[in-house]
Amino acid sequence: MNGPLRRVALVGGGITPFGVRAATFPELIQEAGARGFGSLPNLAPEDVDSLFVGAAQPERLAFQSHVAPLAAELLGLTPTRVIQRTELACASGQSALRSAYAAIASGLSDLAVVLGVEKMNLPDMAEANTSMADVLDRPWDGVHGATAPPFFAMVAQRHMHEYGTTEEQLALVSEKNHRFANRNPTAQFQGKVFTREKLRGLPVVAPPLRLGDCSSMTDGAALAVLVEGSRAREFTDTPAWLVGSAQCSTFHNLAHAGSLSSWEGLRKAGQELYRSSGLGPKDVQVAELHDCFTISEIVEYEELGFCPKGEGGRFVEEGQSDLGGRVTVNPRGGLLGCGHPLGATGVAQAVEILGQLQGTAPSGRQVPGAAVALQHNLSGSANVHSLLLWRREN
Amino acid sequence: MTASTPSGQSSGAGGDAGTTLPRSDALASERPPRREEPPDPSPLTLLDFYPPQDPRWTRIAPFFLALKDGRFTTTRCTRDGTFHWPPAVACPKCHREELQWVDLPTHGRLYAFSEVRGGAPLGMEGGVPFVVGLVDLPGAPLRLFSRIVGRPYAELALGEPVRFETFPIRDGRLFYRFRAGGEPATR
Ligand SMILES: [Zn+2]
Repeated sequence: MNGPLRRVALVGGGITPFGVRAATFPELIQEAGARGFGSLPNLAPEDVDSLFVGAAQPERLAFQSHVAPLAAELLGLTPTRVIQRTELACASGQSALRSAYAAIASGLSDLAVVLGVEKMNLPDMAEANTSMADVLDRPWDGVHGATAPPFFAMVAQRHMHEYGTTEEQLALVSEKNHRFANRNPTAQFQGKVFTREKLRGLPVVAPPLRLGDCSSMTDGAALAVLVEGSRAREFTDTPAWLVGSAQCSTFHNLAHAGSLSSWEGLRKAGQELYRSSGLGPKDVQVAELHDCFTISEIVEYEELGFCPKGEGGRFVEEGQSDLGGRVTVNPRGGLLGCGHPLGATGVAQAVEILGQLQGTAPSGRQVPGAAVALQHNLSGSANVHSLLLWRREN
Repeated sequence: MTASTPSGQSSGAGGDAGTTLPRSDALASERPPRREEPPDPSPLTLLDFYPPQDPRWTRIAPFFLALKDGRFTTTRCTRDGTFHWPPAVACPKCHREELQWVDLPTHGRLYAFSEVRGGAPLGMEGGVPFVVGLVDLPGAPLRLFSRIVGRPYAELALGEPVRFETFPIRDGRLFYRFRAGGEPATR
């Protein structure tokens, strides 16, 4: 990093219930405002100088563009420094977080609200599925019927072929994340026990992936508040400090995906994350990883250095990504258990990490003594990887 | 404007054409065509956002004209030899605009594949299940995503030979896909 940057802290936030919601896009934004501002009694709307909104496809899914000023009005904000929306498909929320970080670190902003929101469930779900096909190269890949499930199915097929990963190991990722989700009142899947046996009996969506291997079309929103470091303790005694970040984009058209089973972009981004923070994979106790599909979490263990290449399946099988293992992955419940409202996911992950570092996550989900947390979102066909690293003390 | 159409069998990635792409400013005075019929429920909902094959809309119309000759083509940079996919109007490597049309191999092998059984986009819901895959084209540094026809999912294997074919969409236009087993049913 060049030049002196200011320290940036996450001091509070809130998450709406995720799921198939009887709520519109603006209503989800207001729910997130109630929960986010509700977590910060010392914060008044006029203290907020900037607003960053992560939303992937409001134009298609809610027939609304120019959503940042819409959100500002709904939240009672009149930003005077920065107001913008970020779109990075599945990583739109994380992109908003990092943009807020950059603004505060550089001095453009002192206190920013980051809102992530997506309304995905429509009366006609084929319309929503079409929006997922245009995340890929629409006229060349999407037109053949490419959406996320068949692409990640091919990733699973290659990983199984090259490394011997099994369908049983895929199911173990889903079983773990659904178990955590059952202890998270904002998760989409509540009160449903998904054993590996039950998961392996669910219908096939795109072989070898079954319904339980795939995250859902979800409505939801989340709000987080980032501040310049010297002001953090006006709001909380236990902020989470943003101590590292990285991104890498390696291709778009699937013709240039290279190996499906190795994600070079994530490996590069991970190396930059660890370099920029001075920490390494062994320092990470909690990881919120992008488990859009079970196979994604397995590849992510490997590329982030939690286990050697090809051993991701064994890593989950040995319980190394569960509570008590090497690193607890997705104690929030992941995208598999919480659902995946594209713009909201990254912001909700950050709010979860704040609770983990504060030690206030519910029993059965809290990672004891968590001090360093990694946040990852891929987007599209895993062609872009976004990483943040959070720390309890700074 | 015309597409360059080198004659003979496509024989790997080395075919040479040599016509540079038309410039968009030459077309600026032409009005876009009016859509005269409502969209039909074909898989082309995603393609026909606007008619991308028409030279009044796109500078890579030669790709679609070549499909009518049963040929599979793309652009290559005359300066550094870079193959482009999809066809380009400027080289992403050197940013020059001097490109040529070249033939691509028409025989390949399945690198990976799956089957869409649900969650299909508009216009494709009635077509499930259907197979999609990534096809390695020997001799070209490309691994193309495509619809795969000719064999059901359960009868396909990694490395399966597949061949390029065209198929009609509407308005006399064609698109491409790959077929496993049997003879190609081009046009
Ligand atoms: Zn070039």
